[in-house]
Amino acid sequence: MIPDPRRVITVLNKADVEYVVIGGVAMVAHGSARTTLDMDVCYRRSKENIEKLSEALQPFHPRLRGAPADLPFRFDARTIQAGLNFTLFTDLGDLDFLGEVSGIGSFEAVLDASEINQVAGIECRILSLSGLIRAKQAAGRNKDLNAIHELEALRDLKKRTGL
Amino acid sequence: MTPEQRHFAYELITNPPPGSKLAEAKAYGIDLTLLVENLELSVAERWARLYAFESFLEKLRPSVTVKHE
Repeated sequence: MIPDPRRVITVLNKADVEYVVIGGVAMVAHGSARTTLDMDVCYRRSKENIEKLSEALQPFHPRLRGAPADLPFRFDARTIQAGLNFTLFTDLGDLDFLGEVSGIGSFEAVLDASEINQVAGIECRILSLSGLIRAKQAAGRNKDLNAIHELEALRDLKKRTGL
Repeated sequence: MTPEQRHFAYELITNPPPGSKLAEAKAYGIDLTLLVENLELSVAERWARLYAFESFLEKLRPSVTVKHE
């Protein structure tokens, strides 16, 4: 199930992880009416950040989503370094960590396409509407067409009303 | 959102400018009133609503059975 996004950003901020909230949770942050079952986060793939991410999630028992329960798995720095994208089930909820985003690129490009938001006094970076549109266009799935129309409408509405 | 912005937003979604992305979305079937309602909320409130809704669905799931004919 979906984690409480406010709790996730609190955990990541406390560990000083460099990240950007992307996907459905970012869409909702911008005003989308969609729902989502997980939270997607893009993370910087530096050695230091990978260690911080691994340590931040350890208390929440991350395991691979959809994998057999007895499959050995440790979400440690070595595993993260060897992989790129991870779909996890944690005590916080379902979390996806992506090293890059289709249509945008590496974490650095995602960071450039993000905005700083204050969420109940907690600072976090969220992918911009334009960034989300680019990512959805790149994904090119049928279900993304609906999201693109919604995101473009939101961008238009915000621009015209000055919101 | 100021009262003026709210008024203008509802004007826009009721009669989107021809050729605009709002008009395209409306023609596609996007419910634009939901977007304005969401824009009235803070990011924290939008996330809280999402989490509450999904948590509610999660609680319902065990009681849902699929009947096969």
